[in-house]
Amino acid sequence: MSGLRNDAPDDVDLGRAWISVAAQVWRRQPGWLERTAGRLLRSPGLARALLTTPSLLLPWLLTSVVVLAAGAAATTDSGQPLVALLAPAVAAAAIAYSYGPGIDPAWELACSMAVSDRMVLLVRALAVFAVNAVLGLAASAVSAVSVSGPANGTAAAVTFGWLIPMTAVCAFALAVATVARSANAGAAAGVAAWLIIVLSGRVASGHFASAVTDTVLFLPYLAIGAGCAVVAVYATRIPRGTL
Amino acid sequence: MNVEISDLTRRFGRHQAVAGVSLQAGPGVFGLLGPNGAGKTTLLRMMATVIPPTTGRLRLLDRDPATHGPRREVRRRLGYLPQNLGYYPGFTVAEFVEYFALLKEMPAARVPAAVATAVERVDLSGKAKAKLRTLSGGMLRRVGIAQAIVNEPELLLLDEPTAGLDPEQRVHFRALLRELGQRATVVVSTHLVEDVGAACTQVALMDQGKVVFDGTPGELTARGTEQGTGDAPLERGYTAVLAAARA
Repeated sequence: MSGLRNDAPDDVDLGRAWISVAAQVWRRQPGWLERTAGRLLRSPGLARALLTTPSLLLPWLLTSVVVLAAGAAATTDSGQPLVALLAPAVAAAAIAYSYGPGIDPAWELACSMAVSDRMVLLVRALAVFAVNAVLGLAASAVSAVSVSGPANGTAAAVTFGWLIPMTAVCAFALAVATVARSANAGAAAGVAAWLIIVLSGRVASGHFASAVTDTVLFLPYLAIGAGCAVVAVYATRIPRGTL
Repeated sequence: MNVEISDLTRRFGRHQAVAGVSLQAGPGVFGLLGPNGAGKTTLLRMMATVIPPTTGRLRLLDRDPATHGPRREVRRRLGYLPQNLGYYPGFTVAEFVEYFALLKEMPAARVPAAVATAVERVDLSGKAKAKLRTLSGGMLRRVGIAQAIVNEPELLLLDEPTAGLDPEQRVHFRALLRELGQRATVVVSTHLVEDVGAACTQVALMDQGKVVFDGTPGELTARGTEQGTGDAPLERGYTAVLAAARA
């Protein structure tokens, strides 16, 4: 650059020209998903942060697909509602890993950005929940026929009954992750809680599916989900006032 | 004043990391010196709005960062290099710097040129398209500096910015600091006394969560004329002030 600069006419700013060229050459073209998310969220930064969600990255998504596909296959073979029992646990772990500390390597930096870390968390959690709900529904649809019958509840209840429990378990995992500032703690708590619910249902009613088919539980599930969401919001606040 | 701090404290459980710090800083390069565990990083993290103070008053760029609106405005005009720079190994240098430009809510049209300028300023043009996992520790530090300066911040907070840089890069970096300090407030936390002597216009020395000296590098040097130990005059001032504070 310095040699060129010496040869250039005085009215030519080679430094400025170089920056213009570099800006074009290094410019990244966002994919359609990022462009769409940017328009929907009205923030290119938030869209970019959404696409760096640890539990939305390809290896994680492939793992979720494989687990739910195996669950669907096992459900079809055995008639046991494995998808309904797996989906909340998979989603709870994914939600916990949408939270930053210990998982998102640039979390410390992200906490000093104008796009707030709470907004990033909210968008990531919603996206992860939506993706896992879609994957779970697809797996349920594949295995729906084989889980019908009086012993296991109606096909519709087993196919869709896990959505409300999944909401509660995901909210619990998120609440623990934000309070403990640890995605691992959140994932462990979410999966453990779901395991306890399923086993309790098995002991009380004699079959595993009662955790997703017993409509009496839906109100408590919703109350737990709402309560845990409040805890997560509270845990991610920055206290007002420094005096 | 871009930074106004009075009686700031920060407690982690029973540990008092910052114990009543008062400082003011306008445009220029402000050096924050001190031994390990002195509270420099905690103070910088509070100034970066990453953690709130336990008590005390903090005003940045004439705003109170305790409330959402002013905090967001401060963050748009802030640059921060943490002590441990976390990064996405699969990102390129340009992508990483662009990511934080977007999170700082820079207008999207301005981002490509700002990224190119920041990468050029830290002398990483030849590595702009390289994945971060392929870079050395010194290069990663420069990437961190690039993301911190991409938005032309009015308040720039750098925690151990020269860690991992070779002597030539440190000389280049000090020149960059002096240039940035012409119009912005640059706060540099460092162990390296020579960085302060070469680049800073004001210096504070922290020990055990408190500021035990606040003045110019020349004034710190003057403190070491009689009782300080060290190879360089500024080092003697540093050790003399610490010894007096602990006496």
